Amino acid sequence: MVLEIIVMVKQVPDSQEVVIDPVTMNLNRSLTRNVTNSADENALEAALRIKDKVGANVTMISMGPPQAETTMIECLARGADRAILASDRFFGGADTYPTGLTLAATISKLGKFDIIFAGEESSDSSTGHVGPGVAEFLNIDQITYASSVEYEDGYVTAERELEDGTETVKVPTPVLVTVLLNSNSPRMQTLRRKIDAVKKGMEMWDHDKIGLQPEWVGVRGSPTIVRKMRPIKERERAAKKIEIDNIGDLVRELYEKNILKLEEE
Amino acid sequence: MAGIKLATPAAKPEEYKNVFVFLETREDKLVRPALEMIGVGKRIADKVGEKLYCLLLGGNIKKEAKEAVSYGCDVVLGAESPDLSVYRTLPYSKIISDFVKQEKPNIFLIPATRNGRDLASRIAVSCEAGVTADCTELDIEQDTRILSANRPTYGESMLAEILCKRHRPQMATARAGIFPVPDKVQSPKGDIRINDVKIEKALLRKEILDFKKKNAVDLTAAKVVVSGGMGLGKADGFKLIGELADEIGGVVGSTRPAADMGWITRDHQVGQTGQTVRPRLYIAAGISGKIQHIMGMKNSETIIAINTDPNAEIIKYSDFVINADLYKAIPPLISSVKEEKKKLLAANKK
Ligand SMILES: Cc1cc2nc3c(=O)[nH]c(=O)nc-3n(C[C@H](O)[C@H](O)[C@H](O)COP(=O)(O)OP(=O)(O)OC[C@H]3O[C@@H](n4cnc5c(N)ncnc54)[C@H](O)[C@@H]3O)c2cc1C
Repeated sequence: MVLEIIVMVKQVPDSQEVVIDPVTMNLNRSLTRNVTNSADENALEAALRIKDKVGANVTMISMGPPQAETTMIECLARGADRAILASDRFFGGADTYPTGLTLAATISKLGKFDIIFAGEESSDSSTGHVGPGVAEFLNIDQITYASSVEYEDGYVTAERELEDGTETVKVPTPVLVTVLLNSNSPRMQTLRRKIDAVKKGMEMWDHDKIGLQPEWVGVRGSPTIVRKMRPIKERERAAKKIEIDNIGDLVRELYEKNILKLEEE
Repeated sequence: MAGIKLATPAAKPEEYKNVFVFLETREDKLVRPALEMIGVGKRIADKVGEKLYCLLLGGNIKKEAKEAVSYGCDVVLGAESPDLSVYRTLPYSKIISDFVKQEKPNIFLIPATRNGRDLASRIAVSCEAGVTADCTELDIEQDTRILSANRPTYGESMLAEILCKRHRPQMATARAGIFPVPDKVQSPKGDIRINDVKIEKALLRKEILDFKKKNAVDLTAAKVVVSGGMGLGKADGFKLIGELADEIGGVVGSTRPAADMGWITRDHQVGQTGQTVRPRLYIAAGISGKIQHIMGMKNSETIIAINTDPNAEIIKYSDFVINADLYKAIPPLISSVKEEKKKLLAANKK
């Protein structure tokens, strides 16, 4: 039986071009270009490498507004087989809980799956919480922050990069894997694949098709709410100018004010 | 839809009380971000007159439980098993979720380390709770006992205040290196409840084949950090940075491109994708001050910038600016420090 791989992707505002509306303090979407979340491209590449080696069906899933189609077509053009966008006005304003629920419900609607891939986090909300949330909803194991992923005979072996070292783990499928940003080089789209991708197109699933009640998802299904946003103001610093000739005075001041100490621990 | 639980029913907030923190360990030793959680958890618990509970899992954690109490924890809830001596998602999330469902805390904080993030949203989903990721400010409203969870967003330019009114516990992960490690308490008295547990086989299917520890530089605890950036121009420049750091008892930091160039190893990197530091003194030599670097060092008490560009962004964040070539400024800095130390030592002897 052929391996079923799911890749979760997200379309995000290009972080180089984020424009905040000074009045509402919200993202000005009309001025911001949308791109595929970079770490998700690494997730797709990890999936495609397994497909190259042992054969697999690779299905992209995403939740978002219809314009996420450009991301879905792009991923098809890189080599994914099928693309499903969970899209519905009820899904809007979701925090990580209903986002995880919506994606998990979409995956279980699809039926059998062996490996679910996702990026380590999205560049816009950077929680890293959606992947593990999906794994919990589906009641499967997970491997987060993977820098390399191998599949063989029903087992995924991966290296996880932690703060203090690298852990190698081995887990039987089904398993969800989140992949580190820049952990591989995503392949290019080819012209032929691009033409095929546009022809194939993506599927759009609404809450009804997925089997979700409107009050479970989006803003209504979100436990958290944003009360307010404020610009991050930095403490005023003196930026006192020191000439090279006065460095001795600066050093004396540092010791006098205990900013430097004789016995540094 | 097999296996999926659906809507998140609202909880009854009055049934939930006390503050929980997860104490992450490595080889059965508390990691520094765990101590940071004790500090912030204690402050929140004290403000509403509640208790601080610490959750501790591992193979042999009695000593660490005492350590947690010495930092001010009121109750340690522990689970001990040889199978818990390494972190694994499934047994950890199961045991912790069970503790939460049983004890019903109002607040639950987890360090936003990689394993902390691995864990947090699984527990939130399992307990039908809301969770705010990677907070840099945490507070509680006294009368409503609602957690004000603040996290940077939009590339660290804005701070979003996030509340969770109808679901319990109110969960958050807290960025490492932001909250200070608390002082030890005078006469610690905490209740330690550690149970031996047996873990179901099904939760242990993940095999940990290997762990390669890196000789990571712990910048987060450093009192003095001297960082170099692209302005060094060459790998050799880090020798000079190292010399200055040695002279003032500091640790060497770097920007990301300097690490990308291979001038220094990645574990020295300060910033969004590196480590967050809050030393007494931070020296930024040949660093322009892009936001991703600033994020990792802006909470330093005193900041000195050495930069040839009088308009470099780093200057806005600096207390002292040496507007000069770092190769001309650092040698006199080193010799002044030597001289000053000699004077101080002589004065001390008298
Ligand atoms: C997603 C993402 C994450 C990132 N994460 C990080 C991170 O964690 N940490 C990080 O640091 N960066 C990070 N960056 C990169 C960041 O945007 C900047 O590129 C980086 O901080 C700039 O490094 P720099 O200051 O060393 O180099 P530059 O910006 O090139 O600045 C060099 C400075 O040196 C000065 N200079 C030149 N010669 C001399 C001399 N002889 N003496 C004194 N001064 C001199 C110049 O005037 C200039 O100001 C990230 C970027 C992205 C997109």
